[in-house]
Amino acid sequence: MLDAFSRAVVNADASTSVVSDIAALRNFVANGNRRLDAVNAIASNASCMVSDAVAGMICENQGLIQAGGNCYPNRRMAACLRDAEIILRYVTYALLAGDSSVLDDRCLNGLKETYAALGVPTSSAIRAVQIMKAQAVAHIQDNPSEKFAGAKLRKMNPPLVEDRCANLVAEACSYFDRVIAALS
Amino acid sequence: MKSVVTTVIAAADAAGRFPSVSDLEAVQGSIQRAAARLEAAEKLGANLDAVAREAYEAAIKKYPYLNNPGEANSTDTFKAKCLRDIKHYLRLIQYCLIVGGTGPLDEWGIAGQREVYRALGLPTAPYVAALTFARNRGCAPRDMSAQALTEYNALLDYLINSLS
Repeated sequence: MLDAFSRAVVNADASTSVVSDIAALRNFVANGNRRLDAVNAIASNASCMVSDAVAGMICENQGLIQAGGNCYPNRRMAACLRDAEIILRYVTYALLAGDSSVLDDRCLNGLKETYAALGVPTSSAIRAVQIMKAQAVAHIQDNPSEKFAGAKLRKMNPPLVEDRCANLVAEACSYFDRVIAALS
Repeated sequence: MKSVVTTVIAAADAAGRFPSVSDLEAVQGSIQRAAARLEAAEKLGANLDAVAREAYEAAIKKYPYLNNPGEANSTDTFKAKCLRDIKHYLRLIQYCLIVGGTGPLDEWGIAGQREVYRALGLPTAPYVAALTFARNRGCAPRDMSAQALTEYNALLDYLINSLS
C-alpha cells in the first residue's frame, strides 16, 4: 500500500534518482486539512450514502427486488448493501492516502471476476457506484441538492473555500471512475 | 511502504471501519510535521553529489589503507563504486525524509546489508566513518532549519547504528 509520499519515492527509485518534485508534496501538505475534511465528510455520512445509493439503484430497476432478482431475499439485499459499503470504504482510504493503490490491491483486484462468478449484474453495481460518486461530490463540496432535500437539508456551512475543493472533488471522482472501469 | 497514513489505513481496514476521527488526527499530526522533513529532503536532494563526495573523501582520509593495491578503494572502478554506495545511502535517507518513516532504508538499504558486505569482504567501518562525517557536517541555520536538521540527523544516526 502506498500513499502520495511513498508513491513519489517508488517512482524516483525506479530511475535511481532523488525525489525532485517536492513542490507537489508541499501542496499535498498545505491542503492536508481539506483532504481530511473531505474524508470526514464521506466517512460520517457513509451509511446514509450507501443505503441511498442502493435504494436509488433499485428504484430504477424494480426487478432487482422481485422474486429471482439479485436483491430479492433480504440475505442478498444485505450482501448488496455490504458490498456498496466496502467499495465506498476503500474509495475513502484512497482519498485519505492520496493514491489509488489501496483501492486497486485490496478491493478492485479480481472484483469483476468474483461478481461474474456470483452472477451479480455489473450494470446495477456500476449504477450504485455512480450514485455514490455524485453523493461524495456533494458532500465534499458541502453542496447538497436543495431541490430534493426539502426539510432535511443540512449544510455544514462556512467556512467554505472559494473553489469548493475542486481538486479533491476531481480526485475522489477519479477513484470512483476506477471502480466503474474495473467493473465494466 | 510503511508510513503514518498507510499504518492508519491498514488498521482501519483490518477492523473494517471507515477512517475515524482519531485516525484523521494521527494523519494530521504527521502532515503538520512534514514541512521540516520536506525542507531537509529538498536541500539534501539538491546537494546529494556534494554531500556524498565529502563523506566519501572523509572516509578514505580516515582509512588510507583502502587505497593500497587489492583493497576496496584501489582502482578507479572501485573508487566509483565506493562513492556510489555512499550516494545510495544518502538517496535512501532522502526517501525516508519524504515518506516520514524509515521504510525505504529498512526495505532497500538495511535488509541484507550485513550479508552482502560479508560476502564481498567489505569493511563497514569506512561507511560508518563517511556517514558520521555527514552526521556532524550539517549546520543548523547555514544548511537548513534546526528542525529539518534534526530529522536528517536522526536518520543518519539510524543508518550508522545499523552498520555498526
